[in-house]
Amino acid sequence: MLVRPLLSPYAVRLAEFAPDRAAAIHRCADVLEDIGAVAPAYRTSMLDRERLMSTYLGECVAIPHGMDSRLVQRDALAVLRLPDGVDWAGSRVTMCVAIAARGDGHIEMLANLAAILLDPPRAAALRSAAAPEDVIRMLGETT
Amino acid sequence: MMRTVALGTSTGLHMRAAATIARAAAVLGVPVTVRVPGRPPVPADSLLALLTLGAGRGTELVLEAFGEGAPSALDRLADLLERDLDAEGAHG
Repeated sequence: MLVRPLLSPYAVRLAEFAPDRAAAIHRCADVLEDIGAVAPAYRTSMLDRERLMSTYLGECVAIPHGMDSRLVQRDALAVLRLPDGVDWAGSRVTMCVAIAARGDGHIEMLANLAAILLDPPRAAALRSAAAPEDVIRMLGETT
Repeated sequence: MMRTVALGTSTGLHMRAAATIARAAAVLGVPVTVRVPGRPPVPADSLLALLTLGAGRGTELVLEAFGEGAPSALDRLADLLERDLDAEGAHG
């Protein structure tokens, strides 16, 4: 799978810090806005979605995203690593894969990500990736 | 026994749709598996496993269960999978 149109190296931030879950989501929204993927109001939609049900997926990874696809300008991802960890409604999160999606273009990436998280050594490799290109390659690998 | 359905959720099997299915499957009392034809089955009660299917709208899914409770378990999951869960507020 070609993940590159969805995820650019610039949108992979490997040394982020957030004191709590809301702050982490704000940082995710900052990056999605910065790359021109979403309108400013998408931030609120992301926070609303998180309140509805945690976006924690497993293996220290959460996938914050909004629910109002009208606020998405182009389908894109952002990956934020939080080396210090953030409490995510009782789980510890060290990586956010933020999603801006209008349709189902991200479902294949989500399938790859889920397969990685079901395989603890691969999940550890994703969490400790040294370069944005490594993250992009791993999320694009179909098992 | 087996049941084949086409995924009804308009934006594919995303996180909340998958969570809805997994939660329903967890209380059926009968293990149910789901697969895309030609690929290995996954447990229907696992959110992560369901996401690995990468199912888009209309993707054909094969449900399988065995034993006494199998028919009603398959009915319940087939009904959920065929619905447009997005239209019912499950988007994202």
